[in-house]
Amino acid sequence: MSKPSSFSLRGRKALVAIKDERDASIVRRQFERLGIDFVAWEPGAAVDFRPDVTLIDDDFLPLTSPAQRAFLGQGPVIALLGTETPSRLKLVLELDPASFLVKPLRSAGIYAALVLAFERAERTGELKQQVVKLEERLRSRRVVLAAVLQVMHSHAVGEPAAFALIRRAAMEQRKTIEQISAEIASNGSLPRATG
Amino acid sequence: MTKPSIPVGIICSQSGPYQAMGRELLKSALMAVDEINNEAEFDFSITPNIRDPRGIVSEYHTACDDLIRNIGVEHIVGCYTSASRKQVLPIVERTDRLLWHPARYEGFECSDNIIYVGAAPNHNVLPLVRYVLDNLSREIFCVGSNYVWSWETNRVTRELVAAAQGRILAERLLELGEGAVGHIVDEIVRRRPPVVFNTLVGSSSYEFIRAFHAATTSAGLNIPMVSCSLCEPELKIVGPASAGCITSSAYFESIRLPENRAFVARWKARYGDDSSPSVDGQSTYVAVYLLARALQRAGTTDIGDVRRAAAGHRYNSPQGPVWIDGANNHCVLTPRLAVSNAEGQFDIFWEADAPVKPDPYLTQLDVAVSPARETARDGAPNAPHLRVVK
Repeated sequence: MSKPSSFSLRGRKALVAIKDERDASIVRRQFERLGIDFVAWEPGAAVDFRPDVTLIDDDFLPLTSPAQRAFLGQGPVIALLGTETPSRLKLVLELDPASFLVKPLRSAGIYAALVLAFERAERTGELKQQVVKLEERLRSRRVVLAAVLQVMHSHAVGEPAAFALIRRAAMEQRKTIEQISAEIASNGSLPRATG
Repeated sequence: MTKPSIPVGIICSQSGPYQAMGRELLKSALMAVDEINNEAEFDFSITPNIRDPRGIVSEYHTACDDLIRNIGVEHIVGCYTSASRKQVLPIVERTDRLLWHPARYEGFECSDNIIYVGAAPNHNVLPLVRYVLDNLSREIFCVGSNYVWSWETNRVTRELVAAAQGRILAERLLELGEGAVGHIVDEIVRRRPPVVFNTLVGSSSYEFIRAFHAATTSAGLNIPMVSCSLCEPELKIVGPASAGCITSSAYFESIRLPENRAFVARWKARYGDDSSPSVDGQSTYVAVYLLARALQRAGTTDIGDVRRAAAGHRYNSPQGPVWIDGANNHCVLTPRLAVSNAEGQFDIFWEADAPVKPDPYLTQLDVAVSPARETARDGAPNAPHLRVVK
Protein backbone atom coordinates (compact mmCIF):
# COMPACT_ATOMS: atom_id res chain seq x y z
CA MET A 1 0.00 0.00 0.00
CA SER A 2 1.36 3.41 -0.89
CA LYS A 3 1.84 5.86 1.96
CA PRO A 4 -0.83 8.55 2.26
CA SER A 5 0.04 11.93 0.78
CA SER A 6 0.77 14.60 3.39
CA PHE A 7 -1.60 16.87 1.44
CA SER A 8 -4.57 14.55 1.79
CA LEU A 9 -5.82 14.59 5.35
CA ARG A 10 -9.16 12.83 5.06
CA GLY A 11 -9.69 10.06 7.60
CA ARG A 12 -6.82 11.04 9.92
CA LYS A 13 -7.48 11.15 13.64
CA ALA A 14 -6.36 14.06 15.80
CA LEU A 15 -6.15 14.38 19.56
CA VAL A 16 -6.94 17.98 20.42
CA ALA A 17 -6.15 19.65 23.74
CA ILE A 18 -7.37 23.24 23.55
CA LYS A 19 -8.48 25.39 26.47
CA ASP A 20 -10.30 28.20 24.71
CA GLU A 21 -13.71 27.24 23.32
CA ARG A 22 -13.45 29.73 20.44
CA ASP A 23 -10.10 28.28 19.34
CA ALA A 24 -11.51 24.76 19.71
CA SER A 25 -14.54 25.59 17.57
CA ILE A 26 -12.30 27.03 14.82
CA VAL A 27 -10.21 23.84 14.80
CA ARG A 28 -13.33 21.66 14.85
CA ARG A 29 -14.84 23.49 11.86
CA GLN A 30 -11.62 23.36 9.88
CA PHE A 31 -11.22 19.64 10.66
CA GLU A 32 -14.75 18.99 9.38
CA ARG A 33 -13.81 20.72 6.13
CA LEU A 34 -10.64 18.62 5.86
CA GLY A 35 -12.27 15.31 6.83
CA ILE A 36 -10.19 14.89 10.03
CA ASP A 37 -11.64 13.20 13.13
CA PHE A 38 -11.49 15.52 16.15
CA VAL A 39 -11.06 13.88 19.55
CA ALA A 40 -10.99 16.32 22.47
CA TRP A 41 -8.48 15.57 25.23
CA GLU A 42 -8.82 16.54 28.87
CA PRO A 43 -5.76 16.53 31.10
CA GLY A 44 -5.58 13.22 32.94
CA ALA A 45 -8.16 11.51 30.74
CA ALA A 46 -7.21 8.15 29.26
CA VAL A 47 -6.75 7.91 25.50
CA ASP A 48 -7.53 4.52 23.97
CA PHE A 49 -6.26 5.19 20.43
CA ARG A 50 -3.07 6.29 18.78
CA PRO A 51 -3.65 9.72 17.24
CA ASP A 52 -2.16 10.58 13.86
CA VAL A 53 -1.47 14.07 15.17
CA THR A 54 -1.84 15.92 18.47
CA LEU A 55 -2.72 19.59 18.85
CA ILE A 56 -1.69 20.85 22.24
CA ASP A 57 -2.46 24.24 23.74
CA ASP A 58 0.63 25.60 25.50
CA ASP A 59 -1.58 26.68 28.40
CA PHE A 60 -1.99 23.02 29.32
CA LEU A 61 1.72 22.34 29.54
CA PRO A 62 2.69 23.86 32.93
CA LEU A 63 0.13 21.62 34.63
CA THR A 64 1.03 18.38 32.89
CA SER A 65 3.49 15.90 34.34
CA PRO A 66 6.60 14.85 32.39
CA ALA A 67 4.90 11.47 31.86
CA GLN A 68 1.85 13.15 30.37
CA ARG A 69 4.04 15.29 28.15
CA ALA A 70 5.89 12.18 27.01
CA PHE A 71 2.55 10.56 26.24
CA LEU A 72 1.32 13.58 24.26
CA GLY A 73 4.58 13.76 22.35
CA GLN A 74 4.38 10.22 20.93
CA GLY A 75 3.05 11.24 17.52
CA PRO A 76 3.56 14.45 15.56
CA VAL A 77 2.68 17.43 17.70
CA ILE A 78 1.36 20.84 16.69
CA ALA A 79 1.92 23.35 19.48
CA LEU A 80 -0.59 26.17 19.95
CA LEU A 81 1.39 29.12 21.23
CA GLY A 82 -0.12 31.90 23.30
CA THR A 83 3.19 33.35 24.44
CA GLU A 84 6.70 33.34 23.08
CA THR A 85 8.42 33.51 26.45
CA PRO A 86 11.42 31.17 26.69
CA SER A 87 10.00 29.45 29.79
CA ARG A 88 6.91 28.41 27.83
CA LEU A 89 8.88 27.51 24.71
CA LYS A 90 11.09 25.27 26.88
CA LEU A 91 8.04 23.21 27.84
CA VAL A 92 6.84 23.15 24.24
CA LEU A 93 10.24 21.91 23.07
CA GLU A 94 9.93 18.88 25.36
CA LEU A 95 7.19 17.69 22.99
CA ASP A 96 9.51 18.14 19.99
CA PRO A 97 6.73 19.85 18.01
CA ALA A 98 6.57 19.20 14.29
CA SER A 99 4.72 22.45 13.68
CA PHE A 100 2.97 25.28 15.52
CA LEU A 101 0.09 27.74 15.38
CA VAL A 102 -0.21 31.10 17.11
CA LYS A 103 -3.29 31.83 19.22
CA PRO A 104 -5.90 33.22 18.78
CA LEU A 105 -6.44 30.76 15.97
CA ARG A 106 -7.84 31.50 12.52
CA SER A 107 -8.88 28.95 9.95
CA ALA A 108 -5.91 30.08 7.82
CA GLY A 109 -2.76 28.25 8.80
CA ILE A 110 -4.31 25.09 10.22
CA TYR A 111 -4.06 23.11 6.97
CA ALA A 112 -0.44 24.20 6.46
CA ALA A 113 0.47 23.31 10.06
CA LEU A 114 -1.04 19.84 9.61
CA VAL A 115 0.71 19.19 6.29
CA LEU A 116 4.04 20.36 7.74
CA ALA A 117 3.54 18.17 10.83
CA PHE A 118 2.75 15.02 8.83
CA GLU A 119 5.60 15.64 6.42
CA ARG A 120 8.02 16.41 9.25
CA ALA A 121 6.98 13.23 11.10
CA GLU A 122 7.40 11.20 7.92
CA ARG A 123 10.86 12.56 7.22
CA THR A 124 11.95 12.26 10.85
CA GLY A 125 10.78 8.63 10.84
CA GLU A 126 12.84 7.93 7.73
CA LEU A 127 15.88 9.62 9.26
CA LYS A 128 15.53 7.59 12.47
CA GLN A 129 15.41 4.35 10.49
CA GLN A 130 18.48 5.42 8.58
CA VAL A 131 20.32 6.25 11.81
CA VAL A 132 19.52 2.78 13.23
CA LYS A 133 20.88 1.17 10.06
CA LEU A 134 24.02 3.29 10.10
CA GLU A 135 24.64 2.57 13.79
CA GLU A 136 24.31 -1.13 13.10
CA ARG A 137 26.81 -0.89 10.26
CA LEU A 138 29.16 1.18 12.38
CA ARG A 139 29.09 -1.46 15.12
CA SER A 140 29.92 -4.22 12.65
CA ARG A 141 32.84 -2.31 11.10
CA ARG A 142 35.11 -3.91 13.71
CA VAL A 143 34.04 -7.41 12.56
CA VAL A 144 34.58 -6.48 8.89
CA LEU A 145 38.09 -5.25 9.73
CA ALA A 146 38.87 -8.51 11.56
CA ALA A 147 37.62 -10.56 8.59
CA VAL A 148 39.67 -8.50 6.10
CA LEU A 149 42.84 -9.03 8.20
CA GLN A 150 42.09 -12.75 8.41
CA VAL A 151 41.65 -13.12 4.63
CA MET A 152 44.75 -10.98 3.96
CA HIS A 153 46.69 -13.39 6.15
CA SER A 154 45.17 -16.66 4.88
CA HIS A 155 45.24 -15.74 1.17
CA ALA A 156 48.39 -13.62 1.25
CA VAL A 157 46.66 -10.72 -0.50
CA GLY A 158 46.41 -7.01 0.09
CA GLU A 159 43.48 -5.22 1.72
CA PRO A 160 41.58 -4.34 -1.51
CA ALA A 161 41.77 -7.92 -2.79
CA ALA A 162 40.75 -9.34 0.62
CA PHE A 163 37.74 -7.05 0.73
CA ALA A 164 36.80 -8.02 -2.84
CA LEU A 165 36.89 -11.72 -1.88
CA ILE A 166 34.65 -11.07 1.10
CA ARG A 167 32.23 -9.01 -0.97
CA ARG A 168 32.03 -11.74 -3.62
CA ALA A 169 31.37 -14.37 -0.97
CA ALA A 170 28.63 -12.16 0.52
CA MET A 171 27.01 -11.77 -2.90
CA GLU A 172 27.20 -15.50 -3.63
CA GLN A 173 25.55 -16.35 -0.34
CA ARG A 174 23.10 -13.44 -0.51
CA LYS A 175 24.24 -12.06 2.81
CA THR A 176 25.45 -8.67 3.90
CA ILE A 177 29.18 -8.00 4.13
CA GLU A 178 28.73 -7.63 7.88
CA GLN A 179 27.07 -11.06 8.21
CA ILE A 180 29.69 -12.87 6.11
CA SER A 181 32.48 -11.06 7.99
CA ALA A 182 31.08 -12.32 11.29
CA GLU A 183 31.18 -15.88 9.91
CA ILE A 184 34.74 -15.46 8.65
CA ALA A 185 35.85 -14.06 11.98
CA SER A 186 34.36 -16.98 13.88
CA ASN A 187 35.29 -19.77 11.38
CA GLY A 188 38.74 -18.47 10.62
CA SER A 189 38.35 -18.80 6.83
CA LEU A 190 36.34 -17.71 3.79
CA PRO A 191 33.34 -19.89 3.04
CA ARG A 192 33.86 -22.31 0.20
CA ALA A 193 32.85 -20.87 -3.15
CA THR A 194 29.54 -22.24 -4.39
CA GLY A 195 30.00 -21.70 -8.06
CA MET B 1 -40.82 56.89 0.71
CA THR B 2 -37.08 56.62 0.18
CA LYS B 3 -35.59 53.28 1.13
CA PRO B 4 -32.76 53.26 3.64
CA SER B 5 -29.38 52.91 1.96
CA ILE B 6 -26.68 50.37 2.76
CA PRO B 7 -23.12 51.25 1.70
CA VAL B 8 -21.30 48.39 -0.02
CA GLY B 9 -17.66 48.47 -1.12
CA ILE B 10 -16.73 47.36 -4.62
CA ILE B 11 -13.05 46.73 -5.36
CA CYS B 12 -12.25 46.07 -9.05
CA SER B 13 -9.14 47.04 -11.01
CA GLN B 14 -10.01 49.14 -14.05
CA SER B 15 -6.43 49.19 -15.38
CA GLY B 16 -3.38 46.91 -15.22
CA PRO B 17 -2.77 43.40 -16.61
CA TYR B 18 -6.27 42.03 -15.91
CA GLN B 19 -8.20 45.26 -16.51
CA ALA B 20 -10.54 43.56 -18.98
CA MET B 21 -11.80 41.22 -16.27
CA GLY B 22 -11.89 43.99 -13.66
CA ARG B 23 -14.17 46.02 -15.92
CA GLU B 24 -16.47 43.02 -16.38
CA LEU B 25 -16.68 42.64 -12.61
CA LEU B 26 -17.62 46.29 -12.15
CA LYS B 27 -20.17 46.30 -14.97
CA SER B 28 -21.86 43.23 -13.50
CA ALA B 29 -21.83 44.57 -9.94
CA LEU B 30 -23.40 47.87 -11.00
CA MET B 31 -26.05 46.10 -13.07
CA ALA B 32 -27.04 44.01 -10.04
CA VAL B 33 -27.04 47.07 -7.76
CA ASP B 34 -29.33 49.01 -10.14
CA GLU B 35 -31.74 46.09 -10.44
CA ILE B 36 -31.86 45.54 -6.69
CA ASN B 37 -32.42 49.23 -6.04
CA ASN B 38 -35.43 49.14 -8.37
CA GLU B 39 -36.98 45.94 -7.06
CA ALA B 40 -39.80 46.10 -4.54
CA GLU B 41 -38.58 42.81 -3.05
CA PHE B 42 -35.84 44.71 -1.21
CA ASP B 43 -36.73 47.22 1.49
CA PHE B 44 -33.35 48.92 1.24
CA SER B 45 -31.12 50.23 -1.51
CA ILE B 46 -27.41 49.62 -2.01
CA THR B 47 -24.96 52.50 -2.38
CA PRO B 48 -21.90 51.25 -4.24
CA ASN B 49 -18.56 52.69 -3.15
CA ILE B 50 -16.15 51.85 -5.93
CA ARG B 51 -12.39 51.61 -5.52
CA ASP B 52 -9.91 50.96 -8.35
CA PRO B 53 -6.60 49.41 -7.20
CA ARG B 54 -5.32 49.53 -10.84
CA GLY B 55 -4.06 45.97 -10.66
CA ILE B 56 -1.45 46.93 -8.04
CA VAL B 57 -1.51 44.34 -5.28
CA SER B 58 -0.66 46.70 -2.41
CA GLU B 59 -3.43 49.10 -3.51
CA TYR B 60 -6.05 46.49 -2.54
CA HIS B 61 -4.97 46.81 1.07
CA THR B 62 -5.30 50.60 0.87
CA ALA B 63 -8.68 50.43 -0.88
CA CYS B 64 -10.12 47.99 1.64
CA ASP B 65 -8.79 49.97 4.59
CA ASP B 66 -10.29 53.17 3.16
CA LEU B 67 -13.70 51.58 2.57
CA ILE B 68 -13.89 50.26 6.12
CA ARG B 69 -12.31 53.20 7.93
CA ASN B 70 -13.76 56.14 5.99
CA ILE B 71 -17.02 54.82 4.52
CA GLY B 72 -17.82 52.31 7.23
CA VAL B 73 -18.84 49.47 4.89
CA GLU B 74 -19.49 46.05 6.40
CA HIS B 75 -19.69 44.24 3.07
CA ILE B 76 -17.26 44.39 0.17
CA VAL B 77 -17.67 42.77 -3.25
CA GLY B 78 -14.63 42.27 -5.42
CA CYS B 79 -11.02 41.14 -5.85
CA TYR B 80 -10.17 39.07 -8.90
CA THR B 81 -6.76 37.51 -8.29
CA SER B 82 -5.81 35.48 -5.24
CA ALA B 83 -2.93 37.86 -4.54
CA SER B 84 -5.44 40.70 -4.18
CA ARG B 85 -7.77 38.62 -2.01
CA LYS B 86 -4.87 37.75 0.30
CA GLN B 87 -4.23 41.49 0.75
CA VAL B 88 -7.81 42.12 1.79
CA LEU B 89 -8.25 38.99 3.92
CA PRO B 90 -6.35 40.08 7.05
CA ILE B 91 -8.21 43.40 7.14
CA VAL B 92 -11.69 41.90 6.86
CA GLU B 93 -10.77 39.30 9.48
CA ARG B 94 -9.34 41.87 11.87
CA THR B 95 -12.29 44.26 11.50
CA ASP B 96 -14.87 41.47 11.15
CA ARG B 97 -16.21 42.50 7.75
CA LEU B 98 -17.40 40.26 4.92
CA LEU B 99 -15.75 40.04 1.49
CA TRP B 100 -17.93 38.58 -1.28
CA HIS B 101 -15.34 37.17 -3.67
CA PRO B 102 -16.72 36.44 -7.15
CA ALA B 103 -13.81 34.87 -9.04
CA ARG B 104 -13.05 31.18 -9.24
CA TYR B 105 -9.81 30.37 -7.51
CA GLU B 106 -7.43 27.55 -6.67
CA GLY B 107 -8.92 26.65 -3.27
CA PHE B 108 -7.11 25.82 0.00
CA GLU B 109 -8.57 28.77 1.87
CA CYS B 110 -11.64 29.09 4.03
CA SER B 111 -12.07 32.31 5.97
CA ASP B 112 -15.19 33.06 7.99
CA ASN B 113 -14.94 36.60 6.63
CA ILE B 114 -15.08 35.65 2.96
CA ILE B 115 -17.97 34.27 0.91
CA TYR B 116 -16.45 32.44 -2.04
CA VAL B 117 -19.02 32.79 -4.82
CA GLY B 118 -16.82 31.54 -7.69
CA ALA B 119 -15.96 27.95 -8.50
CA ALA B 120 -13.76 25.86 -6.21
CA PRO B 121 -11.11 23.59 -7.78
CA ASN B 122 -13.43 20.57 -7.72
CA HIS B 123 -15.85 22.58 -9.88
CA ASN B 124 -13.51 23.61 -12.67
CA VAL B 125 -10.09 21.90 -12.67
CA LEU B 126 -11.25 18.37 -11.88
CA PRO B 127 -13.94 17.99 -14.58
CA LEU B 128 -11.59 19.45 -17.19
CA VAL B 129 -8.60 17.23 -16.39
CA ARG B 130 -10.84 14.16 -16.08
CA TYR B 131 -12.24 14.97 -19.51
CA VAL B 132 -8.76 15.36 -21.01
CA LEU B 133 -7.58 12.07 -19.50
CA ASP B 134 -10.66 10.17 -20.61
CA ASN B 135 -11.03 11.66 -24.08
CA LEU B 136 -7.86 13.36 -25.33
CA SER B 137 -4.59 12.19 -23.86
CA ARG B 138 -2.67 11.19 -20.77
CA GLU B 139 0.19 13.43 -21.81
CA ILE B 140 -0.33 17.15 -21.22
CA PHE B 141 1.79 20.21 -22.01
CA CYS B 142 1.08 22.92 -19.40
CA VAL B 143 1.61 26.64 -19.94
CA GLY B 144 0.60 29.16 -17.30
CA SER B 145 1.33 32.40 -15.49
CA ASN B 146 3.94 32.37 -12.75
CA TYR B 147 1.25 32.72 -10.16
CA VAL B 148 -0.56 30.71 -7.47
CA TRP B 149 -3.53 29.89 -9.75
CA SER B 150 -1.32 28.17 -12.33
CA TRP B 151 0.95 26.52 -9.76
CA GLU B 152 -1.92 24.90 -7.90
CA THR B 153 -3.91 24.02 -11.03
CA ASN B 154 -0.78 22.37 -12.42
CA ARG B 155 -0.20 20.48 -9.15
CA VAL B 156 -3.71 19.02 -9.18
CA THR B 157 -3.32 18.19 -12.87
CA ARG B 158 -0.01 16.48 -12.17
CA GLU B 159 -1.56 14.32 -9.42
CA LEU B 160 -4.46 13.24 -11.62
CA VAL B 161 -2.20 12.60 -14.60
CA ALA B 162 0.26 10.57 -12.51
CA ALA B 163 -2.58 8.46 -11.07
CA ALA B 164 -3.69 7.71 -14.65
CA GLN B 165 -0.10 6.63 -15.54
CA GLY B 166 0.22 9.67 -17.78
CA ARG B 167 2.80 12.42 -17.71
CA ILE B 168 3.19 16.17 -17.78
CA LEU B 169 5.30 16.86 -20.86
CA ALA B 170 6.27 20.36 -19.75
CA GLU B 171 5.28 23.07 -17.32
CA ARG B 172 6.15 26.46 -18.80
CA LEU B 173 5.45 29.62 -16.80
CA LEU B 174 5.43 33.29 -17.83
CA GLU B 175 5.41 36.34 -15.57
CA LEU B 176 2.00 38.07 -15.29
CA GLY B 177 1.60 40.46 -18.21
CA GLU B 178 4.51 38.90 -20.17
CA GLY B 179 3.83 39.05 -23.91
CA ALA B 180 6.90 37.20 -25.25
CA VAL B 181 5.38 33.79 -25.87
CA GLY B 182 7.25 32.78 -29.04
CA HIS B 183 9.71 30.39 -27.38
CA ILE B 184 6.90 28.36 -25.83
CA VAL B 185 4.91 28.22 -29.06
CA ASP B 186 8.08 27.12 -30.90
CA GLU B 187 8.60 24.34 -28.38
CA ILE B 188 4.99 23.19 -28.79
CA VAL B 189 5.31 23.07 -32.59
CA ARG B 190 8.60 21.18 -32.25
CA ARG B 191 7.37 18.65 -29.67
CA ARG B 192 3.78 18.28 -30.92
CA PRO B 193 2.11 17.45 -27.58
CA PRO B 194 -1.32 15.78 -27.80
CA VAL B 195 -2.93 18.57 -25.72
CA VAL B 196 -2.01 21.97 -24.27
CA PHE B 197 -3.44 23.14 -20.93
CA ASN B 198 -3.45 26.95 -20.84
CA THR B 199 -3.61 28.53 -17.36
CA LEU B 200 -2.19 31.87 -18.46
CA VAL B 201 -3.98 34.95 -17.12
CA GLY B 202 -4.96 38.14 -18.98
CA SER B 203 -2.87 39.62 -21.79
CA SER B 204 -0.27 36.80 -21.73
CA SER B 205 -3.07 34.34 -22.48
CA TYR B 206 -4.40 36.41 -25.39
CA GLU B 207 -0.93 36.70 -26.96
CA PHE B 208 -0.30 33.01 -26.46
CA ILE B 209 -3.61 31.87 -27.99
CA ARG B 210 -3.02 34.01 -31.11
CA ALA B 211 0.59 32.84 -31.53
CA PHE B 212 -0.34 29.21 -30.81
CA HIS B 213 -3.12 29.30 -33.39
CA ALA B 214 -0.94 30.91 -36.05
CA ALA B 215 2.01 28.57 -35.51
CA THR B 216 0.03 25.33 -35.29
CA THR B 217 -2.06 26.29 -38.32
CA SER B 218 0.98 27.05 -40.47
CA ALA B 219 2.63 23.81 -39.31
CA GLY B 220 -0.52 21.86 -40.19
CA LEU B 221 -0.98 20.73 -36.59
CA ASN B 222 -4.27 20.20 -34.79
CA ILE B 223 -3.40 20.35 -31.09
CA PRO B 224 -6.37 20.85 -28.75
CA MET B 225 -6.07 23.59 -26.14
CA VAL B 226 -7.94 23.41 -22.84
CA SER B 227 -8.58 26.11 -20.24
CA CYS B 228 -10.49 26.63 -17.04
CA SER B 229 -10.59 30.41 -17.20
CA LEU B 230 -11.37 31.53 -20.73
CA CYS B 231 -14.62 33.52 -21.11
CA GLU B 232 -16.68 35.24 -23.83
CA PRO B 233 -15.23 38.78 -23.54
CA GLU B 234 -11.77 37.23 -23.85
CA LEU B 235 -12.79 35.33 -26.99
CA LYS B 236 -13.67 38.72 -28.49
CA ILE B 237 -10.34 40.24 -27.41
CA VAL B 238 -8.37 37.33 -28.87
CA GLY B 239 -10.37 37.19 -32.11
CA PRO B 240 -10.84 34.21 -34.48
CA ALA B 241 -7.78 32.38 -33.04
CA SER B 242 -9.78 31.68 -29.88
CA ALA B 243 -12.10 29.15 -31.52
CA GLY B 244 -11.84 25.50 -30.53
CA CYS B 245 -10.68 25.88 -26.93
CA ILE B 246 -12.22 23.34 -24.55
CA THR B 247 -13.16 25.27 -21.43
CA SER B 248 -14.42 24.40 -17.97
CA SER B 249 -16.68 26.92 -16.26
CA ALA B 250 -19.82 27.29 -14.17
CA TYR B 251 -21.16 29.94 -16.51
CA PHE B 252 -21.40 30.41 -20.26
CA GLU B 253 -23.54 32.99 -22.04
CA SER B 254 -25.07 30.13 -24.01
CA ILE B 255 -26.70 28.43 -21.00
CA ARG B 256 -30.30 27.73 -22.01
CA LEU B 257 -32.05 28.62 -18.78
CA PRO B 258 -34.84 31.23 -18.72
CA GLU B 259 -32.99 33.09 -15.95
CA ASN B 260 -29.94 33.31 -18.17
CA ARG B 261 -31.85 34.30 -21.29
CA ALA B 262 -33.40 37.18 -19.34
CA PHE B 263 -30.06 38.11 -17.79
CA VAL B 264 -28.29 38.19 -21.18
CA ALA B 265 -31.12 40.29 -22.65
CA ARG B 266 -30.84 42.81 -19.79
CA TRP B 267 -27.04 42.79 -20.16
CA LYS B 268 -27.19 43.52 -23.90
CA ALA B 269 -29.82 46.22 -23.39
CA ARG B 270 -27.47 47.89 -20.92
CA TYR B 271 -24.05 47.33 -22.46
CA GLY B 272 -24.77 46.80 -26.17
CA ASP B 273 -25.68 43.92 -28.46
CA ASP B 274 -22.08 43.00 -29.18
CA SER B 275 -21.24 42.84 -25.46
CA SER B 276 -21.16 39.53 -23.55
CA PRO B 277 -21.28 38.75 -19.86
CA SER B 278 -18.37 36.68 -18.51
CA VAL B 279 -18.18 33.93 -15.92
CA ASP B 280 -16.55 36.13 -13.29
CA GLY B 281 -18.84 39.04 -14.20
CA GLN B 282 -21.92 36.88 -13.87
CA SER B 283 -20.49 35.59 -10.59
CA THR B 284 -20.13 39.19 -9.37
CA TYR B 285 -23.78 39.76 -10.28
CA VAL B 286 -24.66 36.60 -8.33
CA ALA B 287 -22.51 37.78 -5.39
CA VAL B 288 -24.37 41.10 -5.16
CA TYR B 289 -27.71 39.29 -5.33
CA LEU B 290 -26.69 36.73 -2.70
CA LEU B 291 -25.60 39.62 -0.48
CA ALA B 292 -28.82 41.59 -1.04
CA ARG B 293 -31.03 38.56 -0.40
CA ALA B 294 -29.08 37.73 2.76
CA LEU B 295 -29.35 41.35 3.94
CA GLN B 296 -33.11 41.22 3.31
CA ARG B 297 -33.54 37.92 5.15
CA ALA B 298 -31.30 38.94 8.05
CA GLY B 299 -32.89 42.37 8.43
CA THR B 300 -29.51 43.70 9.51
CA THR B 301 -26.04 44.30 8.06
CA ASP B 302 -24.38 42.41 10.93
CA ILE B 303 -22.03 40.03 9.21
CA GLY B 304 -22.74 37.03 11.45
CA ASP B 305 -26.48 37.32 10.80
CA VAL B 306 -25.97 37.96 7.08
CA ARG B 307 -23.64 34.96 6.77
CA ARG B 308 -26.19 32.72 8.48
CA ALA B 309 -28.98 34.10 6.29
CA ALA B 310 -26.93 33.42 3.16
CA ALA B 311 -26.11 29.79 4.04
CA GLY B 312 -28.28 27.28 2.23
CA HIS B 313 -30.50 29.93 0.65
CA ARG B 314 -31.13 28.88 -2.93
CA TYR B 315 -31.03 31.51 -5.65
CA ASN B 316 -32.05 30.72 -9.23
CA SER B 317 -29.26 32.71 -10.82
CA PRO B 318 -28.36 33.03 -14.54
CA GLN B 319 -25.98 30.05 -14.15
CA GLY B 320 -28.71 28.00 -12.50
CA PRO B 321 -29.48 27.32 -8.85
CA VAL B 322 -26.70 28.33 -6.46
CA TRP B 323 -26.41 28.53 -2.71
CA ILE B 324 -23.72 29.00 -0.08
CA ASP B 325 -22.53 25.90 1.75
CA GLY B 326 -22.56 27.06 5.39
CA ALA B 327 -19.83 24.54 6.28
CA ASN B 328 -17.17 26.30 4.21
CA ASN B 329 -18.65 29.58 2.86
CA HIS B 330 -18.16 28.43 -0.73
CA CYS B 331 -20.83 28.23 -3.41
CA VAL B 332 -22.70 25.11 -4.51
CA LEU B 333 -22.89 25.35 -8.30
CA THR B 334 -23.03 23.42 -11.56
CA PRO B 335 -19.78 22.61 -13.45
CA ARG B 336 -19.88 22.67 -17.25
CA LEU B 337 -17.57 21.97 -20.18
CA ALA B 338 -17.82 23.74 -23.52
CA VAL B 339 -15.84 24.45 -26.65
CA SER B 340 -15.38 27.96 -28.01
CA ASN B 341 -16.74 28.61 -31.50
CA ALA B 342 -16.00 31.05 -34.32
CA GLU B 343 -18.80 33.39 -33.18
CA GLY B 344 -17.09 34.15 -29.87
CA GLN B 345 -19.45 31.90 -27.92
CA PHE B 346 -19.19 28.52 -26.20
CA ASP B 347 -21.00 25.34 -27.25
CA ILE B 348 -21.74 23.50 -24.01
CA PHE B 349 -21.29 19.74 -24.36
CA TRP B 350 -21.20 18.52 -20.77
CA GLU B 351 -22.70 19.56 -17.44
CA ALA B 352 -23.32 18.06 -14.01
CA ASP B 353 -26.93 17.00 -13.62
CA ALA B 354 -27.15 18.67 -10.21
CA PRO B 355 -25.30 21.46 -8.42
CA VAL B 356 -22.06 20.19 -6.86
CA LYS B 357 -20.89 20.84 -3.30
CA PRO B 358 -17.71 22.92 -3.08
CA ASP B 359 -14.61 21.06 -1.90
CA PRO B 360 -12.01 23.84 -1.44
CA TYR B 361 -9.40 21.53 0.13
CA LEU B 362 -10.10 18.71 -2.37
CA THR B 363 -10.80 16.54 0.66
CA GLN B 364 -13.02 14.24 -1.37
CA LEU B 365 -10.58 13.94 -4.24
CA ASP B 366 -9.55 10.39 -5.00
CA VAL B 367 -7.01 10.67 -7.79
CA ALA B 368 -7.40 7.04 -8.74
CA VAL B 369 -11.13 7.39 -9.39
CA SER B 370 -12.19 8.26 -12.91
CA PRO B 371 -13.99 10.21 -14.14
CA ALA B 372 -15.14 12.88 -11.68
CA ARG B 373 -16.76 10.48 -9.27
CA GLU B 374 -15.52 11.76 -5.94
CA THR B 375 -18.15 11.10 -3.33
CA ALA B 376 -18.65 12.52 0.10
CA ARG B 377 -18.23 10.14 3.02
CA ASP B 378 -21.91 10.43 3.85
CA GLY B 379 -22.83 9.61 0.28
CA ALA B 380 -24.04 13.14 -0.37
CA PRO B 381 -24.25 14.02 -4.05
CA ASN B 382 -20.83 15.60 -4.24
CA ALA B 383 -20.00 13.71 -7.40
CA PRO B 384 -21.30 15.20 -10.59
CA HIS B 385 -23.10 12.70 -12.76
CA LEU B 386 -22.15 14.22 -16.03
CA ARG B 387 -24.46 14.29 -18.97
CA VAL B 388 -24.21 15.51 -22.50
CA VAL B 389 -25.89 18.84 -23.24
CA LYS B 390 -27.21 19.34 -26.75
